Amino acid sequence: MSAAEAAVKFVTETPPEEIERVKEWINSEEYKEKNFERTALVVNPAHACQPLGAQMVATGFEGALPFIHGSQGCASYFRSTFSRHYREPAAATCDAMTEDGAVFGGQNNLFEGLENAYALYKPKMIPIFTTCMPEVIGDDLNAYTKNAKAQGFIPEDLPTPYANTPSFNGSHIHGYDAMLRSILQTLTEGQKVEGKCTGKLNIIPGFDGNVGNLREYKRILDLMGIPYTMLADVSDVFDSGCDGEYKLYPGGTKMEDAAESINGKATISMQKYSTVTTMKWIESEYDGEKAILPLPFGVKKTDEMLMKLAELFDKPIPAELKAERARAVDAMTDAQQYLHGRKFAIAGDPDYLLGIVTFLLEMGARPWHILCSRSTKKFQKEMQALLDTSVFGEGCSIYINKDLWHMRSLLVTDPVDGIIGDTHAKWAARDAKIPLFRIGFPIIDRVNLHRTPVVGYNGAISMLSMLANKFLDIKDETCDDQWFEMMR
Amino acid sequence: MAEKKLRQIAIYGKGGIGKSTTTQNTVAGLASLGKRILIIGCDPKADSTRLILHAKAQDTVMDKVRELGTVEDLELDDVCKRGYGEVMCVESGGPEPGVGCAGRGVITAINFLEEEGAYTPDLDYVFYDVLGDVVCGGFAMPIRENKAQEIYIVVSGEMMAMYAANNICKGIVKYAASGSVRLAGLICNSRETDREADLIEALAARLGTQMIHFVPRDNQVQRAELRRMTVIEYSPDHKQAAEYRTLAQKIVDNEMFVVPTPLEMEDLEDLLMEFGIMEAEDETIVGVAENA
Amino acid sequence: MAERKPIKGITIESTEKLIADTLAEMPEKAQKKRAPHLGANEPGASACAVKSNKKVVPGVMSQRGCAYAGAKGVVWGPIRDMIHVSHGPVGCGVYSWGTRRNLMQGIPGVTSFPMDFTSDFQERDIVYGGDLKLEKLLREADELFPLNKGMSVLSECPVGLIGDDINAVAKKMEKELDKLVVPCNCEGFRGVSQSLGHHISNDSIRDHIIGKFKFKEEAGPYDIALIGDYNIGGDVWAAKPILEEIGLNVKSVWTGDGEVEKIGATHSVKLNLIHCYRSMNYMCKVMEEKWNIPWLEYNFFGPTKIEESLRAIGELFDDKIRKNVEKVIKKYKPVMKEVTDEYKPRLEGKTAMLFVGGLRPRHTIGAYEDLGIQITGAGYEFAHQDDYDRTAPEMAKGTLIYDDVSEFELEKFVEELKPDLVGSGIKEKYVFQKAGIPFRQMHSWDYSGPYHGYEGFKIFARDIDMAINSPTWDLVKSPF
Repeated sequence: MSAAEAAVKFVTETPPEEIERVKEWINSEEYKEKNFERTALVVNPAHACQPLGAQMVATGFEGALPFIHGSQGCASYFRSTFSRHYREPAAATCDAMTEDGAVFGGQNNLFEGLENAYALYKPKMIPIFTTCMPEVIGDDLNAYTKNAKAQGFIPEDLPTPYANTPSFNGSHIHGYDAMLRSILQTLTEGQKVEGKCTGKLNIIPGFDGNVGNLREYKRILDLMGIPYTMLADVSDVFDSGCDGEYKLYPGGTKMEDAAESINGKATISMQKYSTVTTMKWIESEYDGEKAILPLPFGVKKTDEMLMKLAELFDKPIPAELKAERARAVDAMTDAQQYLHGRKFAIAGDPDYLLGIVTFLLEMGARPWHILCSRSTKKFQKEMQALLDTSVFGEGCSIYINKDLWHMRSLLVTDPVDGIIGDTHAKWAARDAKIPLFRIGFPIIDRVNLHRTPVVGYNGAISMLSMLANKFLDIKDETCDDQWFEMMR
Repeated sequence: MAEKKLRQIAIYGKGGIGKSTTTQNTVAGLASLGKRILIIGCDPKADSTRLILHAKAQDTVMDKVRELGTVEDLELDDVCKRGYGEVMCVESGGPEPGVGCAGRGVITAINFLEEEGAYTPDLDYVFYDVLGDVVCGGFAMPIRENKAQEIYIVVSGEMMAMYAANNICKGIVKYAASGSVRLAGLICNSRETDREADLIEALAARLGTQMIHFVPRDNQVQRAELRRMTVIEYSPDHKQAAEYRTLAQKIVDNEMFVVPTPLEMEDLEDLLMEFGIMEAEDETIVGVAENA
Repeated sequence: MAERKPIKGITIESTEKLIADTLAEMPEKAQKKRAPHLGANEPGASACAVKSNKKVVPGVMSQRGCAYAGAKGVVWGPIRDMIHVSHGPVGCGVYSWGTRRNLMQGIPGVTSFPMDFTSDFQERDIVYGGDLKLEKLLREADELFPLNKGMSVLSECPVGLIGDDINAVAKKMEKELDKLVVPCNCEGFRGVSQSLGHHISNDSIRDHIIGKFKFKEEAGPYDIALIGDYNIGGDVWAAKPILEEIGLNVKSVWTGDGEVEKIGATHSVKLNLIHCYRSMNYMCKVMEEKWNIPWLEYNFFGPTKIEESLRAIGELFDDKIRKNVEKVIKKYKPVMKEVTDEYKPRLEGKTAMLFVGGLRPRHTIGAYEDLGIQITGAGYEFAHQDDYDRTAPEMAKGTLIYDDVSEFELEKFVEELKPDLVGSGIKEKYVFQKAGIPFRQMHSWDYSGPYHGYEGFKIFARDIDMAINSPTWDLVKSPF
């Protein structure tokens, strides 16, 4: 037998008792400790990369064709992700850089890509953002786009905002921020007129995969009689109707409204963490009042939003909204017994987490494990401050830069009653046999949850119903016959 | 009061030409004229601020980022240090040669400084001291739009230094087409080669620019450097200190910003022959490529 | 094989006109680049005239993915007992986590790893390089998931750009951990599509896995391997029982529900049956050259092709197997007739257009035809010339062939040819559904399946009928 043959190993079967041992072990306290010690490996992260967020916000302007500068595979991944979540087309194009682009830079790809995209899809704006490839080699988008116009590949007056969105920094919410800022900078350039006020509100929803939320904001603003421009409004793009005709550009914020936004009466952001640099820029450049509001999950934050709007526009809060509030509170007091003291584990983006925690605390539930797989110490502090406002926040823990495999360890060693997060949390939920409530992005295994608003008073009722009814279903499905009864 | 206009200056030049020393001495000269300056070292070796800080920068941007894990948790004070003449100093930092991507380190650092507000309104000048060879897009970051508008190239009468200067000019032409970056002059850091000043003057003329100053060679620079100081700080009355102050003043007054006209290789060789660095009769003994 | 009957209203001339009209709307340079990739089918020609496997034209909205997608998503991901590390920034791993439907057995996190393992690169990893992090990561993974049978390292774009040496790290760690550690340099910017990722992965299997293992039991005359079946929606689980029923032993599956050590011992089988020719023909050829293992393409979509394939397989074995083949065919005939009896009356005469990866358009044509549906257009995201050559004879004369079709082109083609069904991917699905055209995702079986084998055909027939004849389509046009 030669040495090479001797090195050939037999196919092995792991003994069943060894499988049993490891199966038990990964649920142990000891494993949890080891799991939390890792520093290099990330398992099942709960965040995506910057360009995904850039594409979302770029999609929200009427006639805008998101354009990805970099590898084509990334473009396909982003588009697929949106199509799976919204069950809608997600148009975006890419300049398909390959090995030569990596060496010589991507200018030629950009030229040709812009020329073709413009000719074929006739966009009113091409927002450009990057994958990690041109970020590593240091492509200069500003110079490239200027050159593309100077050399006639696209018209001089076509808006081409661009954002550097390296995937090795931050997460999808940062890409949303960078792209939005650039689009607004481009569209509002030279539009500021001293003393001119459109009388309108600019509302920035932030990275929000729930188009129902966007529609709910608009409904509330209509009820209050406040004219507005939503920056950016993906609701008609990622929730378009089926009427027998495919429209490449089915809606979105109008270009001229975005341009005029700089002369607005006030600007509010509904998500602090996904609009940091945008709001910083708006703060210094825009006319009118500015405010960063917490995501209006639950009653108190919705109150806060309405009062702020009333103050900014000197308008009364209409009776209809007051009645809505009362109905939400009615629903919450009626159902509080089903959620009081229940423990939850939550994973998601910073603003969503703050919103969900606020709502749970209002219900007397306990946001026991709070996990954000990409965030900062500043966020951790803010979340802690929120927990400190309620006795129901006592003993709750915040985990930043930890992933869903960490969460699995938490769930099996220190169980909770429910998990709130996006679809990715379903594996941990199944292992721990704890129900998952899908709030967040992406939701790729249930229908229409992205259409049901979770913001505002009505959103509070939806969330409440989703949570409480599931617990009641579980009771009905699992209780012994003697405890099965008509009423709950 | 009229708003102060921030001038952003990038210093390029062949590795080993004395860029960092020239930059720091010039900056010290500007500081002695009462100017407020930020130096951003864009070289993983992180030696662009040593003479101002009197020590090698302990915490480069990338060192801290490596330690903290993410850029988001980094604070400006962690990496931006004050040195001689109130000069603010930052080093981008980066890997040892042969690993990773130093160019990206430059991009990361400059993005961080912009976002965290390192470019304070009281500044008169920002100096970028950039690694000798612009090997990838990252090292061109300092001359992208809204960053450095003026470039000085440190050069000497040695052939390779001039060759490098000419190449850098080719890069500037590319960026000047879409942005406002311009060549502001050559700084001759003398190596005491033959007819050096004349040669660099001639090169400058061909490139469409000026030799803004001829810095003579003087060992006082090394003496100061051994004490981790600029000449200006170590021996303000020495004649070499005066040279740097003169250079500083010339930069303050400079209004000659051009898109350079780089030379073809042959023209550069002709120039060298003209100045006798390459003898005309040597032409017969140049190397000939195989299969040529 | 007899040539297909022409399809009413489709001629070479009409198709060429459609192509010309579509191209006319593009910039000249793009027209020139795209024209060779579109054509009218000539079933009798010795080679398909449509060009393929060329760079994507920038800006045209191609549906293609990248080499990483071909490596991680296609070849490696389905191997259930390995840890597959997406090495680089976080996105690639997240987007490809659980989005291909390569189902697997095992206990997740214990004996199988349908998860996302990533080095989640940060700025510092780009600047300083990620080799040390990778080393540490592999150690951590092996400690936390001790029953893994090996690890693959799949590099993302930046890893190749900054010059990390994952091969050296893999070599070192393989020794240290005494586990397979397989590097795969599949950066997304390499090549023109997923296809290069398949090839690179095949090469990694050749260099690091095949021949490293042997089965405990003696080799038998009926040992075979399934190559290029990724168990989408459970396809392997529908195909394997048929092969076992005719008396063959399926020793390993590449790579659907796959086990790496069995893959590494495949060189002892007597025959390789290849399903996805595009992604794994390379390794079939390697095994043929090195170990004299013959290989045969098989197609288990629809009863006609199942029967053809079973008989072809039988020809490579003895009478015993051949008898079994006939027995099996006979057994399932009535079952299949029941299916076609139910669905064919509702589907006969319908047309469909297909655009999938590198195999399925040509492989599923038979299944559609078993239901009475004709294919009026077909094309691939990342196929090569040999795939198109295999497609031409399966399509009627004059039908439309399109390679790496852009969204713009496909929309025009569908508008003109008005098929009753489009079978393609998630990115295309809602474009056509908005236009009121029934659609099935044919990469993922639209969250259904299996479609392979006898069991799969029942589901396929039901799904196609459901898509085309859903009453919801009648609601699309509003009465007011």
